[in-house]
Order: sequence, then C-alpha cells, then structure tokens
Amino acid sequence: MKLKKVTALLLSFAMMASVLAGCGSQAGTSAPASDGGAATATDGGSSDTASASGEVTDFTMFITMPGSEINDDNEIASLIADKWGVKVKETWLTGQTASEATGTLIAGGEYPDFIDSDEMNLLIDAEALIPLDDYIDQYPEFRDTWFTPEEWDKFRQPDGHIYWINPFGNTMGETKQTTHNDEAFWIQVRVLEWAGYPKIETMDDYFKLLEDYMAANPTMDDGTENMAYTILCEDWRYFCLENAGQFLAGYPNDGSVIVNKSNMTIEDYNTSEDTKLYLKKLNEEYQKGFVDPESFTQTYDEYIAKLSTGRVLGMVDQWWDFAYTVNDSFKQSGLDLKGCNYVPLGLTTKPGMENRWHTYDDTVNQASGIAITTDCKDPDKAFKFLVDCAMDQELHDLRFWGVQGVDYDVDADGLYYRTDEQRQNWADTTYQAAHRCQYSYFPQWHGTSRDGKNANKPEEQPSEFMNDMSAPLKACFDAYGYTTYPQFIGSVVETNGPWFPMYSYSNNFTTETPGGVAWAKMGETKHEWLPKVVMAPDFEKGWSDYMDAYSACKPEDFIGEMQDILDTFK
Amino acid sequence: MARNKNEEKKERKITVKELKRQSFLLIVSFVVVVYGIIFYYLPLTGWIMAFENYKPKKGLLGSTFVGLDKFKFLFGDDVFIKVIRNTFAMGVINLVTTTVMAVLFAILLNEIRRSWIKKPIQTISYLPHFLSWIVVTSILHVSLSPTGIVNDLLLRFGIINQAINFFAFPKYFWPIVAFANCWKETGWNAIIYLSAITAIDPALYEAASIDGADRLQKIRYITFPGIKPTFLILLLMNVGNVLNAGFEVQYLLGNGLVQSVSQTIDIYVLKWGISQNDYSLGTAAGLFKSAVSIAIILIANSIAKKYSDQRLF
Repeated sequence: MKLKKVTALLLSFAMMASVLAGCGSQAGTSAPASDGGAATATDGGSSDTASASGEVTDFTMFITMPGSEINDDNEIASLIADKWGVKVKETWLTGQTASEATGTLIAGGEYPDFIDSDEMNLLIDAEALIPLDDYIDQYPEFRDTWFTPEEWDKFRQPDGHIYWINPFGNTMGETKQTTHNDEAFWIQVRVLEWAGYPKIETMDDYFKLLEDYMAANPTMDDGTENMAYTILCEDWRYFCLENAGQFLAGYPNDGSVIVNKSNMTIEDYNTSEDTKLYLKKLNEEYQKGFVDPESFTQTYDEYIAKLSTGRVLGMVDQWWDFAYTVNDSFKQSGLDLKGCNYVPLGLTTKPGMENRWHTYDDTVNQASGIAITTDCKDPDKAFKFLVDCAMDQELHDLRFWGVQGVDYDVDADGLYYRTDEQRQNWADTTYQAAHRCQYSYFPQWHGTSRDGKNANKPEEQPSEFMNDMSAPLKACFDAYGYTTYPQFIGSVVETNGPWFPMYSYSNNFTTETPGGVAWAKMGETKHEWLPKVVMAPDFEKGWSDYMDAYSACKPEDFIGEMQDILDTFK
Repeated sequence: MARNKNEEKKERKITVKELKRQSFLLIVSFVVVVYGIIFYYLPLTGWIMAFENYKPKKGLLGSTFVGLDKFKFLFGDDVFIKVIRNTFAMGVINLVTTTVMAVLFAILLNEIRRSWIKKPIQTISYLPHFLSWIVVTSILHVSLSPTGIVNDLLLRFGIINQAINFFAFPKYFWPIVAFANCWKETGWNAIIYLSAITAIDPALYEAASIDGADRLQKIRYITFPGIKPTFLILLLMNVGNVLNAGFEVQYLLGNGLVQSVSQTIDIYVLKWGISQNDYSLGTAAGLFKSAVSIAIILIANSIAKKYSDQRLF
C-alpha cells in the first residue's frame, strides 16, 4: 500500500512537471492564434494568404544593439503575421555591452530563434548557429540577387559553412543615396547660416567657427546655453573619439587600421601624426572650455538626450548612431525650424586633401548579420521569412513605407509621398510602437524599388527627402547647391579593395591569439587614455604617457595578424 | 561532545523507534543537505575550467588541460594586479564606513526617547536598502554630474568656482562608492545593532544614572560593551566578504577614465570570462578570489579566538 502511495505521488509530480513543460513549449504556438485573430479583425477581410497557410509562427530575435521594442499588438506586425505567417518579437540590448549579452546567452545555453550579434564568432564557437548553405541554395533567386558568389564566400567560416547574412548595405537598381550613413564631423545648420555658409575644410576651420559662434551666441533663443562640442565615449561607441584620425588623414573607414594601398601594408593610425594633431586640437579646445566636460562620463542615453535639446553645435558620430532618434525628436519639438539639424563635413588635417569619409559602395560587413540558432522552432519557415524580407517588395514597402493610404499616398505617376501629418506620425515614438514595424535587422534594400520608380527607403525618395527637410536645413542645402548629404562631404569616388572594411576581421579576433589579446588590451588602454590625453593639462606629456601605455599592449602582434589577413588579398 | 556520545548509545538500543520519532527532522535535514550538494558543491566541479582551455562545445571533460597557464596570464596582467588592489581597497573602505555608520546611527537613534520620532526615522532610513543599484547609481550619476545638484550647491556657496565632473577623476571614485554604500545600507545595518541595544538590561542604565553617569558615559560604558559581541560576530562575517566589494556600483558608475580604480575582480571576471569568451581565465580569477576569501576568514577567526571569546567556528 505504502509503495503504491509513493508511486502515485511520484507519478502525479511527473505529470505536473510535464504539464508545466507543456505550457512552456505551447506558449509559442498558442499565442499566435490569438494574434492572428486580432490581425484579421483589424484588417477586415483581406487576409487571404494567412488563412491559406494556416497558423502564424512566433519567432524571437535578439539584437545586440539598443533599440525600442514595439507593442505586442503592433498593427503592421499583425498585418505581416497575417500575410506571411510570421511574427518576430525583437528584444534589444539593455545595460550590457554586446559581448556581455552574447556571452550570457552562451553561458545560459538558450537562444532566441534569430540573433544578430557583434560577436558571431563566440556563437559559432558554442555551436549555437545552424549552417545556412542548404537553405540559401533552396532560394536561388535570393542567392543570386542578395550577394555575389565572392561576397557569399566572405561569409564562409573556416569550416566552409555560412552561418549569417548581413542584412544591410545592399542597393537595388539605381542608387538613390541621399544620406551620409557614415561617420563625419557634424555641425548644426544654424551655425553655418550664421557664418554665411562658409567652406569648412579642416579641423582648425571647424573649431574656429564653433568658437566664433559661441562667442556671438552663448545661448539659444529660449535661454538654454549652447555647447560647442561633445564627445560620446561609452563602450564600443567611443569610435566617436577614437578613429577620426584615419579619416582626417584621408583614409576610408577600415575601422581598426589603415591600409596603405601603394605597398599593401597595414598601418596603425593610433600612433600616426594625424591622430596626434587631432587629439592635440581636442586637447586645446578642451582647455579653452569648448568641449563638453561631461564628454567622457556620459552614457549613450544622456548623449542622445543632450543632442535632442538642440544645444550641441557639433560632434563626430555615425549618422545611424544619432540621426534617427535626434531628428525625430527635433521634428516633435520644433527645433528643426530653429536650424538644429546636423549636416556632415568631410574634414581633413590640411586643406586641399582628398577625403574618404563617405563610402559610396555597398559595405559588406561579413563580421555580423542575422543568424538562425539551433534552438529555432522552425528553421525552414524562419529562413523563408528572411528571404521574403529581401525578395517581397510588398513586405518591404510595408516595413519601410507603412500602409498605403495611412502612412503614405501614391500620386498619379505612381510615386509615393507623405503628407505633413503622415510624416509627423511616422516620427512619433508612440505611433512607432503601436503601428510601425520595420524588422530593422532583417534583410533590406537601399536604391530603387522593383517598380522602378520609388526608393526602397522613404528617406531616399528624392521628393520625400526634400519635402521632409525643415526650412533652415533646406536653405543650407540650397546655399551650397547640394541635393544630398554626401555632397557635403565630397569624398573621392572610388571602389574600395576587396578587403574593405578591415574592421570586419578585427571584430572577430579572440583572445586565442596574441594579436587578439593585444587587440583587447589596446581597446582597454585607449578607453582610458584617449580621454586622459584630451584632458591633460600638458598635452605632450599626456601623449607620451599614452604612447608608453599603448606600446605595452604589444600592438605589433595585432598589426602583424591584420597584415597576414591583408596578404591573402595580394 | 558528551551529549553526542550519550545519544549514540541510546540510538543503538532503539534505532528504528528513534529514527521514526525523528523521521520528520531527518527528511528535512536530508533535503537541505541535498540542496547544498546540488547548488553549492556540484558547481565547484566547474573549477576544473581554470586549469584547462575551456571551450563550451568540447565541454568540461573534452577541453584541453593547460595546467597553470591561465593563472600565469592572470598574474602577469598588470590590470589584474590593479583589480585586486581596487577590490581590497573598496572592500575595506566599505566595511569600515558602513559598520561605523551603522553603529553610530543605531546609538543615536536609541538616544531618541520619543517613539513617534524614532519609528518614522528608522523606517525611512532603511528604505534605500530596497532600491536596486541601478536606481541608486542613476540618482548619483545625475546629482554628481557637472550640472547636477551637488555642483550647483557647491558653486552657489562659493566652495568651488568651477563645476567638477566627479566621475572623471579616479580620486573621487572610491569615496563615491563608499558614500553610495553608506547611504543605501546604514539604516538596514543599524537594525541589528538597535535590537542588540534593546536587549541590554535597563537596570544597568538606571544604576549608572544613580551613580551619576551622563549620557555619553552611559553610551561608553554600557551601550558599547553591550553591543560588542554582535559587533564582533558581524565584523567576522563581513571580513570574509571583503572581496565581494561589489559589482553593480562599480560597473554602473565606472567609465574609461576611472577604470584603473573602478574595476573589481567581479568585473574582471565578467570582462574576460563572458565578453572575451575566456571562461577559463574568468574561472581562474574567481577561484583566486574564493581562496583569498577563505584565507581571510580563517585568519580573522583565529585572531578573534585569541583576543576575545567571540568567533564563528
């Protein structure tokens, strides 16, 4: 009897456990039913494909970048779920660094269905990703349009497999590039307007202008104090301080090193004369009080909040790192009408030098991209959706233009346009969370849409681009006679070498090799010393102390390994 | 000991009966022992990682054994030496300041005679304990920024003539951390001292009053000796925790400029173990920390044994 009781107890425990486990795994499949239902309800009767293909699969995705989560009942997400049968719950980086977040996932051993990480090699090491080669071959059209065979080969890992696909930087048809989606010295148009739209070529010109403006306009109209220059220095975003030296010397964004094409050698920009001049200038401006004293201690959020007040006249940054958030908030607060928008400048150390701040080609960064993990519920469907994102124009338009008649209208020539109200909505964060769903780390196109008329991205639509501009910004474009942002930079038009960008290799260095250890230590040293050099009362002493600390990291190990990689392209 | 022997004898006589009688206790203690083994002792097998080049895909047993290589790297790394220094320094500063503040606060609070003042103060004082560090550090970050309230006040009172960016200078970092710890934990830590004080026989105070002792003398000759045992035991327990100088505060308040004084062993473990994927190095650093902590607690215990009758074991 006793034994029976015990077994009964054990059995009931086991059943409870299995019920609980069942709940866990069913959560994924039971939720979509209700989502699908909600979508159908909002959508009226147009949901033909969804009912045909059956249920909606809920996928999860983690992206090692900070971002805004959209609402669970987001309208466009529901429309997409309805038609393509897939809904992706995106979660973003909060608080941690990208590598910490990835490391934590690996240590935990449980992965989302999709992942986009800056530390792909760690995930490969942990065998967390599924090889995509076979899937890619199942969709020959996608394979042939998305990358060339050479480009696909760059994604091949040492074991011969492809594990991720970079979703960015692909141009379809005629290029419609209007933005400078790269790094630059940015300056507010009100400063240029005040100075009568002068030509700014060097760092000296740039800071002279900022100083003059500050002297004449210490405050904004509402009494807020202007701030000449700020530097973002948090974690990996310290590129805003760190790598301007390579650009000022006229080199393109190889990121971690300079490639000297004439003799195919790797050079270190950290120790170069141009970098020293750059830091010296920053040091000088810091001592004069024109550099934000909070520069080196502010977080990214604090930095964005600061830019959004419109009081910062200039900084170095990548367009994608600030422009989307900051421009939207200018639009909301009306600061765009006061000339707070930023335009880029292609500065060099000396006047008359060539510059390569702007990258004209598509930059294929093979170090990262979207991947499907071994925990994925339905890899076939997941990969199909990935392909759909790239290959289905309707889906693409829904993601980046929105719903026709709601977010944009079509004129008689078939060109998409937005009314002021639609533009205002599109920039509103509440509306974005409730309505807009870009799946921004899934494959996407620049350039011209498949209809041959419209741009794939609204900001690249010439009419939209001009109409979206505030009056002061437009005046600035007109004054210089420019129609796109890259014209402000005026970079040399040329094709980069097949090794470009070199940072895509160094990003994947691990501490397994001496070069990787050196790379990690260099990063740490620079995080500490670059701010110190800028703040140093005696620049020369600060610089030489920095150089001592820097050479202790054995940068030559790192440079040597980068040279080995470059040599494979000889 | 004598009691144990008696029990053993008894048990031998009536084993089954005795077992039955204690069955509930036996089951409960068995559960606790199993819990301890699973959650405290089994994970220790992970220490093997420190001696091999651990790769998640090869597993604990499949990874290559590298002996003391990781420790060599660790102690050859100037950063790690600094990290040890930081951890010790912040641990000791925190221990001293939080303990002193807690004792002082408890005594002061005890001197308040009116309970309608005393109770609210006590409640308010331990509320910060329940705030998470992310909230506390955000408050600190805002109030200590060049445009924050602290600089504003200092400027207005003319104590400084230019705003100080407190987080840009290594010299301010340890005091800020100590201050944050005090602010958050003083009220909470004082609770235990307060209860120790209430346990002191009121007759002692009365007697002292009759003998003409004033307040300070009563504190010195009655309250202090009264809470000494509690104080020593807590000190002993906390000494073992010195190397747990904190992770969140330093992690959240630190930045590139102060990293040479802000990084603790825990941050180092996270940085190399998780971010650089070198689990072995992270484990080695953690192992070192545990070994030192055990050594410290043993030493502190033997000192306590020698000079007073208070000790942990």
